Amino acid sequence: MKAVVLAAGKGEGLFPFTQKEQKESITVLGKSVISYVLEGIKKAGIREAVVVVNENGKQVQESVNVDLSLEFVEQKRPGITGAVKDGMEKVGEDFLLAFGDVIADPEFYVSLMNIYAMGARAVFSLVPVYEGLQTYGLAKIVGDRLEVVKEGSTLALAGAYILPYGDFDDLLEYFSRISPMAKYFIWSGNWIDIGFPEDLINAVEMLLKSAKTIVSNNATVSKTALIGKGVIIEDGAVVEDYAVIKGPAYIGRDAYVGSYSLVRDYSSIEEKAVVGAYCEVAHSLIEPYAEIGSKSYVTYSVIGKGARLGASVITSNYPAVIVRGKVNKLGALISSGENISHGSVLPPNFKK
Amino acid sequence: MCGIIGILSKDPSLPLATITYECLTRLEYRGYDSVGVAALGEKGIEVRKAKGSVEEFAKKYNVFNMRGEVFLGHTRWATHGQPTDYNAHPHLDCSGSIAVIHNGTIRNFVELKEELISLGHKFKSETDTEVIPHLVEEFKKRGMDTFTAFKTAISSLKGTYAVLAVVKGEKRIYFAKNFNPLVIGLGEKAIFISSDIPSFLPYTKTIVAVQNGDVGYVSENQIYIENNGVAVDVRERVHQVDWDASSASKEGYEHFMLKEIYESPEAVMDTIYGMDSDRTVEEVVKRLEESKRVIVVAAGTSYHAGLYFSMLLQRYGYTSISVVASEFYNVKTNPDDTVIAISQSGETLDVILAIRRFKEYGSLVVSLTNVIESAVARESDFKLYTRAGPEIGVAATKTFTSQLGALVYLWAKLVGEKVNLEKVGEVIRGSLNLSGEARKVGEELSKKENAYYLGRGLGVPLAMEGALKIKEIAYIHAEAYPAGESKHGPIALVSKGFPVVFVNTGELFEELQSNVQEMKARGAVTFGISVNRKLNTDREILLNVEDERLNPFAVAPIIQLIAYYASVSRGLNPDRPRNLAKTVTVE
Repeated sequence: MKAVVLAAGKGEGLFPFTQKEQKESITVLGKSVISYVLEGIKKAGIREAVVVVNENGKQVQESVNVDLSLEFVEQKRPGITGAVKDGMEKVGEDFLLAFGDVIADPEFYVSLMNIYAMGARAVFSLVPVYEGLQTYGLAKIVGDRLEVVKEGSTLALAGAYILPYGDFDDLLEYFSRISPMAKYFIWSGNWIDIGFPEDLINAVEMLLKSAKTIVSNNATVSKTALIGKGVIIEDGAVVEDYAVIKGPAYIGRDAYVGSYSLVRDYSSIEEKAVVGAYCEVAHSLIEPYAEIGSKSYVTYSVIGKGARLGASVITSNYPAVIVRGKVNKLGALISSGENISHGSVLPPNFKK
Repeated sequence: MCGIIGILSKDPSLPLATITYECLTRLEYRGYDSVGVAALGEKGIEVRKAKGSVEEFAKKYNVFNMRGEVFLGHTRWATHGQPTDYNAHPHLDCSGSIAVIHNGTIRNFVELKEELISLGHKFKSETDTEVIPHLVEEFKKRGMDTFTAFKTAISSLKGTYAVLAVVKGEKRIYFAKNFNPLVIGLGEKAIFISSDIPSFLPYTKTIVAVQNGDVGYVSENQIYIENNGVAVDVRERVHQVDWDASSASKEGYEHFMLKEIYESPEAVMDTIYGMDSDRTVEEVVKRLEESKRVIVVAAGTSYHAGLYFSMLLQRYGYTSISVVASEFYNVKTNPDDTVIAISQSGETLDVILAIRRFKEYGSLVVSLTNVIESAVARESDFKLYTRAGPEIGVAATKTFTSQLGALVYLWAKLVGEKVNLEKVGEVIRGSLNLSGEARKVGEELSKKENAYYLGRGLGVPLAMEGALKIKEIAYIHAEAYPAGESKHGPIALVSKGFPVVFVNTGELFEELQSNVQEMKARGAVTFGISVNRKLNTDREILLNVEDERLNPFAVAPIIQLIAYYASVSRGLNPDRPRNLAKTVTVE
């Protein structure tokens, strides 16, 4: 079986961030979002996938480092339905459809195959959700099948399916049409659909929750630095004198944490990112090559690739407007390559 | 549920009996009350079968010395006919030259059986399955070739099935599937056809998917499948299992517990239909009408179902006492009392001891168990059953809801209430669709070490079950009280952030609402599981149920899901709680 992976969405929930960077190529704990999907489908026994991309396809392609035979196809027909059809045409048989913006355990994709192998004509995955219900495609169990609905259920279509090759004008209508011969399951392992800034922050937390401390022998960690529980430090990373990586936290390849800085509570400093001295970083995702100036305070924030925060930048995070958050805190969303001047105090929900 | 396996050898040196035994041990989770094996060799078909576990059976009947080129193996969970040696599969036709194993339920077997008997066929079991070999035999007698006879037999069945058949003199396994699982494994030295993939995974990773409506056969050099009379291109069905399929028996779910909660609608409806077609029910109702008192005895979750039943009876003027099984010695019953003994497994020792004592006092004993002819059933005067199928998760879920189904059915019959129990399945599904809400409450509770579950009226036994569930699998200390009782002590513990879960079945609504205010005033975090009307707790799950008598079927899945998600978000395995066993056979 082959897979069709969708990576051509606009990512409106993450605007303006995703106007510069395709959502699927955002790095989380050293891997792009789409890489989690591709690793999952690989674990499910799939060797070939068609990735449907938009004009930012190159970003997606460059962000992938998974041993699979991949064909990148630029979307021609509009909407999700168009994307699925563009991909499906390339495979021409039953296929695994995966949304490229989901971070889930590989077993999530294995579950699909386990059900398909037992003779199901189609397989749907569902996951229970409780915040921002209107932002998910929902399905309801009625009798022995699923109905796609707008409300009246808390079961979200979980972004991975096995579908028969077919003719349809609307994907959700196709789901409804095949549901009498489909099987479904409710996934309760790790799963986050990346749609909003808080999803990225929650994804870092989800992935670090069960992390054990692993410090690479090729990292340079000062003897006076403190490393707490659930801290991963990759090759080439530098942690300077008196820095406290309290964790759970991820310090990527060749990343830098300056003296006296505190990195705590589900933060990820990705590859070659720099956190200056005397900073505090919590509940944040600092993308590769980003720089955080000295004495900055960054919480509940996402800082894009190569973005630069000057010295003494403060991100306020409360009270914020959240679509899917567990807590009503959200700091700044800074797009790739943007600069924030020295001494800025950014309000909650700040976006640039 | 039953487990079935067929193996066709392509290599005479293969120890087929041993392989069949190994496959059966891996299928035993699907049913464990009886086992059977058929070996098809040059001389014909040899069948050995018996009640008991795979291991006991294999030793006692020395399965390992059976010889043949094709084997069938079956592990049974009884639904029609007690678990006895003669009801165990495989079943044979009159001539002993057709052997069949089956997983599923044939709804029209009574009519088929009567017809076959009128045609002179002799039946040896009480099962629905036995009609299949006789049907094949009958059609063969009428001049059909075996495959046509098999197909014709299958087309006359109404119900669900995965069927395997072998016929003397033919090195083939015939199969058919409708809803119950079936999958083919293509090994180098043998072909497998089984209820699941893990059973044959050590021997092959090449499989052929079998779909609903498929009928066909496997032989040494051919797999033939047709669906609706059209031959299927088998090549399209072949897959390499390049993934870790060891957890395939959970059908996509991470835990059996969650899978079983989602099986509740079917489990409860099967139970209700089962009660509907069981003549014992009428007899039991008659006895209950004549009884002076109804004593309900059970342990754990079953006790809560029993308490619910007891309360229903009390409201209609019956004198009913529910007794915790291990405390049975506190109660002296009389010959004019009826005892209702409830046990999922039917093996709970405390319940058995209680039954024995109450029978000594001369009382009539009616059992309600999920296992046909279990110890509790055997010691009872009347046997009623839930038909929830095997439950693997240690915490009772679908079996609790099924017990409620059976007991509400019994209550309605007894007091003459007209309840449309056909709707129960949809009521349960309505709650399953709200599992996101239950997940949220579960995740919040997972951060706490203590909790109260409060309810009023019929909400009390449900609150008790909610508290038990979260104790069992999430290790959160939880206590249930009638909400009005909370002022008499428990409230002393409530301080800022203390979680209180209200089970609001709509009874004494205003009183319950003031209990919520009392708790909020002390800083409690309040949660509500409310039917039809909100209490205004901090977080509330609103369940809409048209007929309030069906309320427990809406509440039960929610309290189970809350406990499940509390357990999972604590990183625990809800299927295997520490210190607990599924069946308690010690005092």
